[in-house]
Amino acid sequence: MHIPDGYLSLPWIVVTYIITIIYLVIAWKKARAQLTPEKATAATTLAAAIFAAMMLNWPIPGGTSLHMVGGALAAILFGPWIGSWILALVVATQCFVFHDGGITALGANILNMAIIDVWVGYLVYKVVRKVVPGEKGIVLGAFLGGWLGIAIAGAAAGVEIGLSPAFPYGIEITLPVMFTWHLLLGIIEGIITASVVYYLVKKGKWVIA
Amino acid sequence: MRKAWYAIAFMIVISPLFGIILANMVGYHEPLDVAAEMLHLKDISDKINWTPFYDYTVPGLPDTIGYIVSGVIGVAVVYVLGKVIFGGAKE
Repeated sequence: MHIPDGYLSLPWIVVTYIITIIYLVIAWKKARAQLTPEKATAATTLAAAIFAAMMLNWPIPGGTSLHMVGGALAAILFGPWIGSWILALVVATQCFVFHDGGITALGANILNMAIIDVWVGYLVYKVVRKVVPGEKGIVLGAFLGGWLGIAIAGAAAGVEIGLSPAFPYGIEITLPVMFTWHLLLGIIEGIITASVVYYLVKKGKWVIA
Repeated sequence: MRKAWYAIAFMIVISPLFGIILANMVGYHEPLDVAAEMLHLKDISDKINWTPFYDYTVPGLPDTIGYIVSGVIGVAVVYVLGKVIFGGAKE
């Protein structure tokens, strides 16, 4: 999911940085109003947990791998504004400290993982919760939110790369490939998201919206 | 909250199994790395590197130990920044 340096053309670098910075400023204002001392501590802990979870690369047949992103999980537990900041913190740390994802692609990587994944996961969860009542709705919503969140985020990465002349293949190749890949890989993300949300609800440790 | 930190510690300790050992044995990479390999793209990341912990390694340490140390460093950085950012938002 982390786009390295050299994949994106200059217009995409600029556009994704601008969108991401504007969004994060807005999200910060919204998140500020929602944060309590307890939520601040829990958000920091979740960010650390997502960082650690992203280091676990799960092998997938065919020579590729998946790691958890956690956008839907953060959004379900904290709402999309705080959720976006949790993911942005993790993705920026990965970039600046470990060179995981390019500096030129940081805007795009935050856009994909901290904005698109977070919002798709959150909205899917909310829709399912409205349609399916009770605990089933929570678990199904978390599963589908985690699954589709990462799939759409992968598709967004495919669009950004495919529309960049710096990458040899166009969007007609990169979009279906990235979407299909992440649609398959995202099943694990969905299972993990649903499992964590279910655990917290069962233990009565979290009030889920 | 304590259980969450136990889980974080557990994930860091077992992370080399997935990030290094199995990756080397099976030869898997992230989807974008696989695509780059198929396209014979040249990886220029190491040429424009800015960190001593490139790709979750630590200079002078074996990859597996370096991966664990990187995990500890990363969690510490995220924790401190999280405290500053989210803690600052309460003011």
